[in-house]
Amino acid sequence: MTERQTADRVLADALRAIADQDAHASASPDVEARVMAAFNAVAMARRRRARATVAGLAAAAAIVTAVAVFKFEVRSPKSEQTSHQTSDFKLQTSTLRSAVATAFMPLVYSGVPIVDGHVVRMEVPRASLVSFGLVPVDSVDGAQGTSSGTVLADVIVGDDGLARAVRFVRARPRAEERKDR
Amino acid sequence: MDDHGLLERVRRGDQQAFSRLYALYQSAIYRYAMHMCGAAAADDVVQDTFVALLGRPARYDPSRGSILSYLFGIARHHVSKQLAVRGNESPLDTPDDVVDDATPLDLVSRDELVGQVRDAIQSLPPAYREAVVLCELQEMDYATAAAIMHCPIGTVRSRLHRAKAMLMTKLAARQGAPLATTRPTR
Repeated sequence: MTERQTADRVLADALRAIADQDAHASASPDVEARVMAAFNAVAMARRRRARATVAGLAAAAAIVTAVAVFKFEVRSPKSEQTSHQTSDFKLQTSTLRSAVATAFMPLVYSGVPIVDGHVVRMEVPRASLVSFGLVPVDSVDGAQGTSSGTVLADVIVGDDGLARAVRFVRARPRAEERKDR
Repeated sequence: MDDHGLLERVRRGDQQAFSRLYALYQSAIYRYAMHMCGAAAADDVVQDTFVALLGRPARYDPSRGSILSYLFGIARHHVSKQLAVRGNESPLDTPDDVVDDATPLDLVSRDELVGQVRDAIQSLPPAYREAVVLCELQEMDYATAAAIMHCPIGTVRSRLHRAKAMLMTKLAARQGAPLATTRPTR
């Protein structure tokens, strides 16, 4: 065996010995604890996101349904509620003055071009506030909404019947309204 | 259950599956990181690797290799960052070209020799050190090492060859005599 071959073999033996010595080396238990904590945090965040998505879909479905029902009613010849329908945005203005509202937030069909539309006020499930990242009004100051677990919302509905945007409304206390006048 | 099934369960939030995955692979990742950037930083690399896996489990593509290779890929990224922070070592992808064929040897006990080889590995340029760690200490085949190192198999071979030559040189420099006369102690 040449000197070079012998040297190679000695080095190979040494490398194998190092591999054997380190075979059971592992990260400290603290690392495992931190990694598992990270896993739990990620899992919890995913569950929260999933719940929010479900609530959001439910709210969107409720709004779409409510809009559909409303339009069906206002188009009915027997309906007495035609006066509630606004043929343009101006008509709602007087009502809106007496309310505190969020900004309009886009809905699923916000990207569909709109030629004409209406602002329709309706009651939607309180959960829809959460789905838009808002805190339910009564959880903050005990104010408005309705006794049936719903809140007021203005929905922009295109002339094609598709809801484009929504904002949430809270009626001002009468005293505050009088002060403004 | 195979690795892919395990990762699927991790994606669905199965804590036991994640714990199992960690138990299976943390040691290999730790040893790689320990040799590449020291024991102190190795813990951080293991933690960062598995936390990164949590953030993007869907990015694993079984057709591109095993989960171990995937984890090594993440770990390698974090090792590079550790080396960059130190600032005194070359990046993993641009090895220095330093090699001699010298092999002076000396009379030295096996344990001493192993300690010296360990030190010599630490002093190799990172790209060469990585080849030794993956192919010799982790006993990976060249194809797997090449996939992890993002280079052709031929490059892995040549880096390993050069790395061994460098180790011989370093050991010879310490001993001032031929390595081939090293006295086995067992």
